[in-house]
Amino acid sequence: MSTARAAGKATPRGLLVDRAWSALGESVAPLSNEAGRPLARTVKLVLDPLVLRPVLHPEFAAGAVAAEHAEALCERIVRAGPVLAATAAWFLVLKKERRRAGITDGNPQDLYFQRCYELATAHGDPRLDPSATDRAAGVLAEVHGQDGPTLAGLRRFVADPGNAAGLTRLLDAEWTAGAEPPGPESVRPGDFLATCATDPDPGLFDALVADRAGTRGAVGLAEPGVALAHGLSDRDRPVRPELGETAAKQNLPKPFDRSIVERLFVPLSNAHRDALEDVPALVRKEIARCARPWQLADEAGRVVMVLGREAAAGLAGDSRSDAAARLRARWEREAYVRRVLRMPSAVPEGVRADVHGVRQAYLRRLWVRTHGRELRRDTVPVDGLWDVLDGVLRSVILDQRDRLRSALERRAVG
Amino acid sequence: MSLRVARDGTDVLVGDWPSHPERTALLEARGALLAWDVPTDDAVPAARIHDAARAADWLWEVYGAAADGILGDSDAVEIGAGDWRVRDACRVVAHLGWAEAWWPASAAAGVPALDPVLLLAERAVATCDVEHLLDDEDAAVRALAAVTADPAVDGLSARLAVLAEDYGVVVPQVVRSSRAEYALAAGDTVGGGGVTVHSGTDAVDWALVPSGAVDAAAEARWAVVRNGGSTFLDVTVPAGPRPDVRLAARFGQVDIALDRTDGLGWHTGRTPVPPTVLLLPPAERRLTVYAPDFAVPERDPDPDAPARRAAIIDYARSRPDSPTATLTERLAGRR
Repeated sequence: MSTARAAGKATPRGLLVDRAWSALGESVAPLSNEAGRPLARTVKLVLDPLVLRPVLHPEFAAGAVAAEHAEALCERIVRAGPVLAATAAWFLVLKKERRRAGITDGNPQDLYFQRCYELATAHGDPRLDPSATDRAAGVLAEVHGQDGPTLAGLRRFVADPGNAAGLTRLLDAEWTAGAEPPGPESVRPGDFLATCATDPDPGLFDALVADRAGTRGAVGLAEPGVALAHGLSDRDRPVRPELGETAAKQNLPKPFDRSIVERLFVPLSNAHRDALEDVPALVRKEIARCARPWQLADEAGRVVMVLGREAAAGLAGDSRSDAAARLRARWEREAYVRRVLRMPSAVPEGVRADVHGVRQAYLRRLWVRTHGRELRRDTVPVDGLWDVLDGVLRSVILDQRDRLRSALERRAVG
Repeated sequence: MSLRVARDGTDVLVGDWPSHPERTALLEARGALLAWDVPTDDAVPAARIHDAARAADWLWEVYGAAADGILGDSDAVEIGAGDWRVRDACRVVAHLGWAEAWWPASAAAGVPALDPVLLLAERAVATCDVEHLLDDEDAAVRALAAVTADPAVDGLSARLAVLAEDYGVVVPQVVRSSRAEYALAAGDTVGGGGVTVHSGTDAVDWALVPSGAVDAAAEARWAVVRNGGSTFLDVTVPAGPRPDVRLAARFGQVDIALDRTDGLGWHTGRTPVPPTVLLLPPAERRLTVYAPDFAVPERDPDPDAPARRAAIIDYARSRPDSPTATLTERLAGRR
């Protein structure tokens, strides 16, 4: 299983990166932690995509690096030293400017690291740049004064009497038009799941999309009780969504029970609004989307739902694929972790559904993420798909821990 | 030191895994769990590696050159000298997780309560130093967001402020949390009047109550009391530093709500019982205290538990003066 060992004299990439990084010294301290290692986001947002670029240089991919490439990897980082030092300096300038502007939104590393690298590449060291402060202010204005559609714009659009009737007619028309049934299965989702965590096969994923495996997997969802059992609806059968008027972040209904406005609510309150289309297009596409299989527009996203459903079957003990067995193992680890952390073992009434319906919670979160990605026109990279499937379970588990803890604290107070 | 390496299917087990959750300081790393057996105070953790490809990226930071043998086919590895800053920070994060869950604060045994504000702050700072090897990639932000107030400790406060800014988290200012100060208790506090016919004490199973709800070392007392022609069962449990938890007790088949507080702030309860309660065989004359919202008392008593708890209490009592202790432990009861 260990690709690190398969390569013989290979070295963990983390070790090589650290070796090269320490050669850069104090100049990159703002991108490092207390132990002098690059921050997690320095690796994820700067070193990986901008310096090492494993897409172009597969020999530098995460995991182990073969002996003959070790030198080249270190050299690449050391050669990027000046621009990394400038990136670090720009980060300090941006943080200072952020403080001055009283901005507290978002994680500065997530929001600025790549911008800093761009500034460093284009303008070099900010300490030698007389307009550094202005440039930094410009970047902050761009990042925080986001363009893109707003919630207020959405509410205005659907409330406008000139639009509402037409939109409702469109909703009726889309909802009654049936989907074209897929042909017989020619590629099995399980084949992709067998290697998806270790060596994902992009050809196989494309074949699933071409085979409309996602659409085929949605066939039963309109039958009584099926969407409910998936955790995607509280109704026996999903009904046509309402257009809706407004939404609140707390207590959103299950995905298929959400109004059009509620479906757009979360993406519109997120940091990446600028990647969204304008309000009228967003609403019309959402109306079309809600009537499609899985209530998603793209076949790739539907395939992700089918893969997630098969992998999550492992949570109920049916671990036929490697991916399902891995999710199952994470879930079993969680039972142990909870005992070690002295979490409640008697689940209180109020959070019972959240904690016991882990498969449902899993599919729900996977749907929300897939839907959000569609809206941002952001495709799932096949080699990142396992991180998505595994990450959804981790996120569901961490949420459950929070719920258990806060339920305990609430009762202590009440 | 030397560590055993065993392979079980796809898992690799390094070292001796702590024998019980109460002794375990756990870190959820990428592709592996790391665990320190708390009372032994070893710096090197045991590991259970479930995804070698993910763990390979950082395992050398915890085991140095021995990581090669662990991921290769060695069945024992030697851990030498090295730069263990990251491993030590990992241990702080895990150890404070243990302390939050299991620290045996006890007036009876002289183990001071930890300051929860300081604990969360110290853990957040250490988490930021090891986030690159944690399973949860948002662990740093999560740990910083959990900090309830500035701990008001020189050095730590400044580090926390810088990190909070780097990660875009706002730490609430000051507002020192009120800590329970222990009054030293004395005397028999059981009873709402009457003649005690029979009484006894039993230890509390830590896993049945939330951390800090009861004094970790003191025993719960029960007494069968005759009063005005009726028989009652009285129960008293010494409270810990976070006593605001609904507790109950089970004695034989009888359930008693410990919904009252006596003059010492201890949990107490009284319930009428049939006089036949005195006829219970000794094995069933056992008092089990539990928090109904937290756990169900269905386990048989563990014969090893008293010795295990005593060892942990001894360990905790030694911590404020130990060179390997966290700041949170060193300052326990001293601020």
